[in-house]
Amino acid sequence: MDETKTRYTIPVGPIHPALKEPIRLDLEVDGELIVDVDVIVGQVHRGIEWLGMNRNNPIQNIYLSERVCGICNICHPFAYVMAVEQAMGITPPERAEYIRVIIAEMERIHSHLLWAGVAAHEIGFDTVFYLVWRFREEIMDLIEYLTGNRVTKAMFQIGGVRRDIAEEQFPRIRKSLDYYKSIFDQLKTVFLDDRTIRMRTRNVGILKTEDALRLLAVGPTGRASGVPKDVRQDQPYGGYADLDVKAITPDLLTGAVVGDVYDRIIVRLLEVKQSVEIIEQCLEEMPPGPILAEPKIAKLLNALTKAEGEGIGRAEAPRGEVVHYVRLEAGRETLSNWKIRAPTYVNLMSIPTMLKGGQIADVPIAFASIDPCMSCTNRAVVVDLRTTKHSLLTGEELHQLSVEKTRKLKGGEFGRQ
Amino acid sequence: MVNLAGNSLLPTIPAIIVGSIIIGIVGVVFGLLFRGVDRKLVAHMQGRIGPPIVQPFRDVRKLLVKETIVPDDALSWLFNAAPLICLVTTIVLLLYIPLFGQKALLDGFGDSILILYLLIVPSLAFVAGGFASSSPYATVGAQREMVIMMSYEFSLALVIVAIARCIVPVTNAHAFMLSTVAAYPIWNLMGPIGVVGALVLLFALLVVTPGEVSKVPFDIAEAETEIAGGILVEYSGRNLALFYLADVTKAFVMISLVVALFFPYNLSAVIGISAGIPAAIVDALFFLVKVFLTMFVSVILVRTAMARFKISQASYVYLIAMTLISLVGLILIGVDLRM
Amino acid sequence: MGVVSIILKQLFLKPATNKFPAKYAPTSTIQFLEKVKRGELELTPPITVPPKFRGKMSYDREKCTGCKLCVRICPTKAIEFIPEEKKVKIFVSRCCFCAQCVEICPVDALAMTDEFLLSSYDKYADELIVTK
Repeated sequence: MDETKTRYTIPVGPIHPALKEPIRLDLEVDGELIVDVDVIVGQVHRGIEWLGMNRNNPIQNIYLSERVCGICNICHPFAYVMAVEQAMGITPPERAEYIRVIIAEMERIHSHLLWAGVAAHEIGFDTVFYLVWRFREEIMDLIEYLTGNRVTKAMFQIGGVRRDIAEEQFPRIRKSLDYYKSIFDQLKTVFLDDRTIRMRTRNVGILKTEDALRLLAVGPTGRASGVPKDVRQDQPYGGYADLDVKAITPDLLTGAVVGDVYDRIIVRLLEVKQSVEIIEQCLEEMPPGPILAEPKIAKLLNALTKAEGEGIGRAEAPRGEVVHYVRLEAGRETLSNWKIRAPTYVNLMSIPTMLKGGQIADVPIAFASIDPCMSCTNRAVVVDLRTTKHSLLTGEELHQLSVEKTRKLKGGEFGRQ
Repeated sequence: MVNLAGNSLLPTIPAIIVGSIIIGIVGVVFGLLFRGVDRKLVAHMQGRIGPPIVQPFRDVRKLLVKETIVPDDALSWLFNAAPLICLVTTIVLLLYIPLFGQKALLDGFGDSILILYLLIVPSLAFVAGGFASSSPYATVGAQREMVIMMSYEFSLALVIVAIARCIVPVTNAHAFMLSTVAAYPIWNLMGPIGVVGALVLLFALLVVTPGEVSKVPFDIAEAETEIAGGILVEYSGRNLALFYLADVTKAFVMISLVVALFFPYNLSAVIGISAGIPAAIVDALFFLVKVFLTMFVSVILVRTAMARFKISQASYVYLIAMTLISLVGLILIGVDLRM
Repeated sequence: MGVVSIILKQLFLKPATNKFPAKYAPTSTIQFLEKVKRGELELTPPITVPPKFRGKMSYDREKCTGCKLCVRICPTKAIEFIPEEKKVKIFVSRCCFCAQCVEICPVDALAMTDEFLLSSYDKYADELIVTK
């Protein structure tokens, strides 16, 4: 720190046009070169897990977990519902599993297109931003048609799904899928062949394979660095057990893995294509049958109050692996324990490695390339790593509760990482 | 006091004052109008409707009624003076450039070398305003603006020198004066190699224009997503309104300069309308069309079709690529003159 | 470049914007709405919603038996039980439109309509409390 004359600190956040959600990055810069990065989270902590454990019964928690994040709004209920089903010991019917897969893949398409637009906006390319979001409108209309709302889809129920996808709705779905197949080439031209995008994203925010493994990067961030891990491939859940999903790495398109922002664009665009193919396969192989293991909700509620057990649900969110841990106790209407670990929490650790040695101009795009979802992240507890910064977390007693819970769970969930 | 053409200045001082005020208002009004047209076209190219064309006027009116906040740590005299200096020097530039097909108001008192110097002053005021606000974002933005300014000066100077070089063998009049350039357009003076050289120089000037006017891909000093507004981050109210007016007027000035250097033709002579009011109106409208077309190619289309450069890439483009290209243009013109 | 041809084409195509409520934002929304009511101006309608859209609640008082299952299941506690009449009251300003109450009601007294233009300055305004 003896060069205090030439180095100074630029704060990015909590409110900054580059960030879609509040987080604080303190960049120590030397001119335009970034020398050090400090990541401070905690600005969106809303006490969701506390609500789930003290006020809501498990069915109400589905809607709470849906609102953890507005973009990844299927993966949280998906993991939660799987955890509760494992704790209760009920299995959803096959048709429900397929419908769950279809909705989850639709969310993946919408989330990746949203990210693509935001990434283009970060590098100042508003035209592509408007173009990609216009493409995204098609999947949003389809989601509204199937589930009744564009965001907060409310499709999950413990033991199945709430709405069926009837045969009459298939043609509408196929129309949207054909639309996406027809624009995929245009997406490729606009993103991957454009010179200015390549100038801004090639060799920017590089995360090497060893670093990705060491820092436990998940989702497209890890896959773009050459780590072929995907929950749908390694531990298939729901309907994915019948499908054959392979993790997508950038060498499928370019033949080499660099681990920069450009590779992450490739991985996400290819995943959109993969999702379209998965939905098509599900539509063709959809088995008939009921959609709920227990159609009478009042009976389900009573069964939940009497159930006892613990369960873990893992799902592949658009950003990586999301894990929910749930513990039920007999005679208690609320959950006994609920812990959410969102993928961005893990991916945030790779930010300092990615940003060091780069320019300030690279910060927004490199940061956006891990697709950060702070609303998901601030579910997690950060106290044990940054004990000196506990004053930035909101709410003293919430903080205390969180600390106690971390210590309780340290042997279980945290120990796995 | 005598101007370069030898005429005395004294009888015309009141005319100059009145003329400056009129030209100032006209320049600002047309700057705002062209900014409105720019936003509308960009919106339609992006598939949206966009704001109505008079929106920039409303923006300025709104800014003037808002509170002007001066940060505690800022250098308040410089913070408040910078926007005013920026606007005033931009309007002064208008007095030396031929507008609407007529001669410049202060024609004979300043040539393109003076314009080259004057073009720096608004950018310097911008930079000074950035350094005077006590924000790290503004400091980074001001540094970037200085780097860009220094990078494109060379190409700009080369273009002006090259054009003067063509005119020197043809006439005894002062070669750097824009009225002389208007009388002897470069395309008429050159053979085929020279025309190619002139096209290369036009290309270089069109690439310098977005940098001068701070638009994508060279709007790095005010990058919204990277440094939260850059130089303008602490400005509000009346100061921001003055900077906004200076920005739109500078765009009008720069495009008029491009038109004055490369397309100084008048339509009335071509279609045979004699001198007088009808000719003036036709010339003025034709001037607006020329400005619009140049703005479309160099600012509007480029703004919509490209992403923003990093500062290292932008200064590479200007300092290395554009300088070399301008040199090539100059050499081609020199070769043509020898033949 | 691919983008240039796309944007030049879009210059001549219709914009993707749905012009609801008017092409340009009105200077004063209240005056605009009053003019629409008087018939002087026309409101561009919004895009129609699909069937089974989850909008504002509708409540059939006659069918309701007062079992309180909906009160128990609502995630946001937007449904209030009125003990003297054994009926409920729904606060739309708290409702999160999940339709769980619709599913759990044993007599199908609750349903969701397709109304979504629900803003008001007062969260306890009469339009926002469903009682019948």
